[in-house]
Formats: sequence, structure tokens, C-alpha cells
Amino acid sequence: MSVVIDILMAILLIYLALRCMLAPELSKTIFTFFAFGLTLALAWIRLEAVDVAIAEAAIASGFMGVLLLDSLRDFSYALSKNPKNLELPENFTIKESNKSLLLPRLALGIGFVIFLLISMEATWKTPEGGGLTAVSEELLPQSGVEHPVTAVLLNFRAYDTWLEIGVILMGLLAIFAAGGVKNYRKPSMTAVDPLLRQVILFFIPVLFLFGAFLLYFGKTGPGGAFQAAVLWGSIGILFHLGGWPIFAMIPRKLRQFLLTMGLGSFLILGFLLMAAGGAMFEYPPAYAGILILIAETLAAISIAVALTAIYVYLTK
Amino acid sequence: MSGSGLEKKERRYPMMIIEAITVILLVVGCFFFLAGTLGLLRFPDLFTRLHALTNADNLGLGFIAAGMALHFGSPWTAIKIFLIWLLTLLSSATSSYLIARFRREENNPKNGKEG
Amino acid sequence: MDDFFIIVIVFLLLNIALGLVRLLRGPTVADRLLSTQLFGTAGMAILMVLAGYMEDLTLLNVVITFNVLSILLVICLVQVWKKKKGDTP
Repeated sequence: MSVVIDILMAILLIYLALRCMLAPELSKTIFTFFAFGLTLALAWIRLEAVDVAIAEAAIASGFMGVLLLDSLRDFSYALSKNPKNLELPENFTIKESNKSLLLPRLALGIGFVIFLLISMEATWKTPEGGGLTAVSEELLPQSGVEHPVTAVLLNFRAYDTWLEIGVILMGLLAIFAAGGVKNYRKPSMTAVDPLLRQVILFFIPVLFLFGAFLLYFGKTGPGGAFQAAVLWGSIGILFHLGGWPIFAMIPRKLRQFLLTMGLGSFLILGFLLMAAGGAMFEYPPAYAGILILIAETLAAISIAVALTAIYVYLTK
Repeated sequence: MSGSGLEKKERRYPMMIIEAITVILLVVGCFFFLAGTLGLLRFPDLFTRLHALTNADNLGLGFIAAGMALHFGSPWTAIKIFLIWLLTLLSSATSSYLIARFRREENNPKNGKEG
Repeated sequence: MDDFFIIVIVFLLLNIALGLVRLLRGPTVADRLLSTQLFGTAGMAILMVLAGYMEDLTLLNVVITFNVLSILLVICLVQVWKKKKGDTP
């Protein structure tokens, strides 16, 4: 019976993806993408990956939504100001003979068939022995946490997580380097609706509390640093939308410290563990829980600041 | 034998009632969702569509939340679901107000600049 | 009971699919945002029913995530698009 849900979700997902790709207008694309993100979160739930579903829900409907809406506004603004800006030049033609298109189409068709075959083969045959599930379940008591996903992310494969934090920081550096993309002034946000302010002030503690809950709950269930970081990062975005430029209020040195804190704490932790005679990120089982919680908290704060910074610099 | 069967039946009797109430609540919630979607499709302008949307937000989600809270049966879960519903009430009411005001200012920007 | 849950979930998913018409047709951004809001609410309802069907209470955390972030888009639209019409002649 539950196959009905899965099939319906799969059809909806593929349809939304196609509509998203083929939509003629930017606004259609963006809002179809939001619907796609929501359906994707539901699909992750059906695959019993609640951690990914929370991350997808938070990033697709929260953070990406804000960035996409902002860029949509810029595009429509630029188009309404001088429509020739984004049109193709007049001597630009796409007309070509049908023969030259035959080869790409053939390649596309063959690629599609191969993709179908591979995916059918992959879904048909489940790996024997259940992959690494048994190993991680066996080592779970030593990891200091009770949820296998958190154990893998923060203990067994902490190296990957550390580098992922680094990736976010690198993206932020790229945005810093390419800063000042916009060449017109943003409307001043002086007249903020009083009701809007109250709602923002109401939602900020709720977001903070729920983020802290997710961070701590990551020890025993789905949740963790990244999910909490997105929620905390949206606090910063809400502050900015409400007209309080909180990111600019923080002193420059402190900002830099906060941004690099997550990466740095992991690095220091790894080297201290190495100095103590283990491998990098080989936590002693007795202290593993508290060490993971500290590293996660610092990483969450750092990612949250980075996300706020991405929003601030992209919409400056 | 027959006595134990009767006892079992009596014990299951309130469960049956709870299940029936859950079913009724979920069906009513679904009805409001359908009403909201149809309203979103059929109503002529944004302000009437807002009405349809809040219909689904408040009543549809409310009834489904009540049904699921009954189904889970534990008071803490019920409190959590109730809080979720309260948050939805707050955010949907505010977002309706914000969108309506946004549209009105968009239509006559001078009025918005003064206010 | 489980079969009934599945019927409810399928009904709500079809509801989302029906609401797509407004998303694709909606003349302005605000209309499209409305249908996204409806999708968010329907998704929350689906998640609640799924929590009953899959007997996994942690799904309620996903519901709260959707819940607290659903207003972010609206605030963003209202604040960022605020004076678009007023600025352009």
C-alpha cells in the first residue's frame, strides 16, 4: 500500500524537476524549485533519512529561498531598468542545420538509456551484508553518541565534516573576493512595519531555542550541527531583514574569529588528539561525547555566522 | 473463554472510539485542505486567495494536528503538536497581513511611502 | 488505520499537485508565494500523518523546521521587494 505514496512522490519529483528546468520565466523556476525542495524533503523521510530531511527543509525553504528571492528581485529590477541588458545580442543566432544536432541527440539518447539501465541495476540488487551499517552499529558505544549518523559524521568520519566546514568558508571567501556585484543601491529599510518587527522579535528566540534543541538532540536522534547552524543563520538573516544590521555591528576581528572558529576548533582538537598519542580525530571513548558536543557547538556558531555573512555580502 | 473475550472487547471499546474520532478529524482536515486549494485556484484576486490559504493553514492543519495528537495518545506529544499549530496560526496570520499590505503598497506606492 | 493514513497522505499529495496550477499560472510573485505557503502547510500535515504511519516521532522535528522557517520567505519577499514598483518609473 505504501508503494502508492512512493510512486506518487517520485512522479511529483520528476515532474517538478522537469518544470523547474524548462520553465520559461525565472520566477516560475524559482517557485517550482521551492516546491521541489519540499517534495524532496518528504522523499528523504520516506527513505528514513530524517537528518537529511531536516537539512533539506531548512536549507531549501529557508536559506536558499531567501537568496533566490533576492536574486529574482535583482533580475526583474535589471530587466525593468534596461531590458536590453539581459537579452541576447541581435547578431546572435541559434539556427543550425538539423544534421549537426543529430549527434548530440544520439549521445543524449544513449546516455539516457545507460542511466536508466544503471539505475535499474542499482535499485534491483541491494548490496550484500548491508554495507557499513553493522560496523558502525558495533562501534557505536565507543563513539560517545547514540545516533549512528552523528557518530559517523562527527567521530568515524570527522575528517570529512571538518573539510566540509572548510568548503563553506572557501565559498564565503569567494563571495568576499567577488563582492560588490550590484551596482545600484538597495532601497533603504527605514520604514519597517511595527508588526513585522514584533514577529521577527518573536521568531528569533524560537529559532535559537529550536536550533539549540536540534544541536543537543543530535546526540540521540536526527539533528546536529549543520541543521542547527542553518536555523541560527536564519536568525542573522531575520535581523538584517528587520533593519538591524547585526553583522556590521560585530567588530571586524571578532567577525573573523567567529568565522574561522569552527574550522580552527576542529583543527586544534585533531592536533591535540595527535599530540596525546592517537590518530587525528581519534577521541578517547570516555570524553568522546563532550568533545563532540563542544566541537559541534563551535562549528554550528561558525557556520551560522558564515551563512549570515553570505547573505549579507550577496545582498549588499 | 467467552468472559475473557468480552473483557477484551470492552477494553478495546474506547480505542475504537478514539480511532473513529481520529478518522473524522483527519477527514475534516482534508476537506479544509481541499477547500483551501480549490479557493487558491478559483478565487479571482490575491486578497480572496489569502482567505482560502488561511482556511487551509488554520483549520486544515488544526484538524489534522488534533487527529494525530489523539492518535499518538501521549500528553507530551500532544503539547508539541499543539505548539506547532499555535506557531502556524501566528505565522500564517502575520504572513497574510504582510502579503496583503505588500500588494496594497505595490498598487499605490505613494500611499505606502507616506505610511 | 495504516491504510487510512495512506489515503490521507495520497490525498494531501494530490492536493499539492493541484495547487501547482496556481504556482505555474499565478500572475505575480505574491500569488506564487501563496501557493508555496500552501505547499508548506500541506507538507507539514503530510509529515504529521507520516509520523503516525511510520511511528517515528522525530518527524515532528522536521515539521517544526518547516514551521519556523516558513515565515522567512514571506518576510524576505515583503522587505526585499518592497519598493520595486516605486523605484521604477
